[in-house]
Amino acid sequence: MKGTIKDILKISGVHGYVLARDRTMQIKLPSKHRFAGAKKQIKLLYDDLMQTPKRPGNTMEIFFDDLVLTVFTNGMTMLMVLSSTRVNLALVRMTGKLVIANLVKEKF
Amino acid sequence: MNQDISGGLDTTRCPEIVKILSLGKRSGKLSLSNGSQSGNIFFRDGEIIHAQCGALQGAKAVYELAVWTSGEYRFSVDEMPDAVTVELSVDEILSEATNRIRQMDRVISLIPSSTIVYAFDPEIKEKEIVLKSIQWKILSQIDGKKTIADIAQNTGLGVSDTMKVFYTLVKSGLLHEAYPSEGESPVDMVELPETPFMNALKDDLTRAIGPVAPFIIRETAQEMGLDLLADDLEQKAALIETISNRIPSETMSLQFLDTMTDWINTEEI
Repeated sequence: MKGTIKDILKISGVHGYVLARDRTMQIKLPSKHRFAGAKKQIKLLYDDLMQTPKRPGNTMEIFFDDLVLTVFTNGMTMLMVLSSTRVNLALVRMTGKLVIANLVKEKF
Repeated sequence: MNQDISGGLDTTRCPEIVKILSLGKRSGKLSLSNGSQSGNIFFRDGEIIHAQCGALQGAKAVYELAVWTSGEYRFSVDEMPDAVTVELSVDEILSEATNRIRQMDRVISLIPSSTIVYAFDPEIKEKEIVLKSIQWKILSQIDGKKTIADIAQNTGLGVSDTMKVFYTLVKSGLLHEAYPSEGESPVDMVELPETPFMNALKDDLTRAIGPVAPFIIRETAQEMGLDLLADDLEQKAALIETISNRIPSETMSLQFLDTMTDWINTEEI
């Protein structure tokens, strides 16, 4: 497995992702997705997460009624995967961990 | 009073039977068996004249039989031995047997069975250890594979005497319990279902953390309440992910995740 962002998108039930590092943010979501225009809110979340660097874990799941945000952090990098609640969450977490590890290695 | 008597040693131990036969001034053979072990005590007019248990003969054989707490006995009248090996009175033998039973009760509190295997403890607390020749004889037999009963047989000592020596050696910190089958640890004894997923999981995890892998898989699945035979991709992924968190090296953990994610993706297609 390459462990690239494309691997995340291949998982059935994944809507898209948000990639953030320092002042850079890349959002890959369907245009009508309700998080597609939520750049400001995502930035606030990113800033908040980055202010507490010594968290016990580096994977978070935020559950909505019809949506799950799986957030991976590593240093100043954050990968947020948006998916349906019926996705194989363990597979998302496994792939996400690999992807963020590779992203940090590559310093995207 | 010529009929045979028989029963279980769990309810009536050997010294009690000996006492009864002695009081009744019986003649004949008392046969005792306990698993693979067996022994005989011969009586003439209520006095013990011969006894045999494994390689032991005479009073020592009676003492060995006296400590058995399970098995069966049968008294057959008028069977006589070829030799006379016991010259002590029944009272003298019973007195010593009672002492031995008391000692064995203490031994059994530490060493509950003669099927236990012991191995040398590399961490010796004492600065200097003085050994008796019998202790050395036993120590020279210890290889992490032989049971106490095996060693008793090899050395020609009784099982109870061998257990007593083990008691002293274990107490002094020279020995620790090994695992019974050929020096395997419980980790090696963990059996996992033979499925393609389990084989892949076991192989990849073994590469990451070594032979402890099957044990970790079994333990993690138990903690998560997962059925290792279930053909459910979500369960499989959850197991992989949880196991990956238990791999101490981050690099190895990621490598494990990498190969197992591939495996899951192939399955999903």
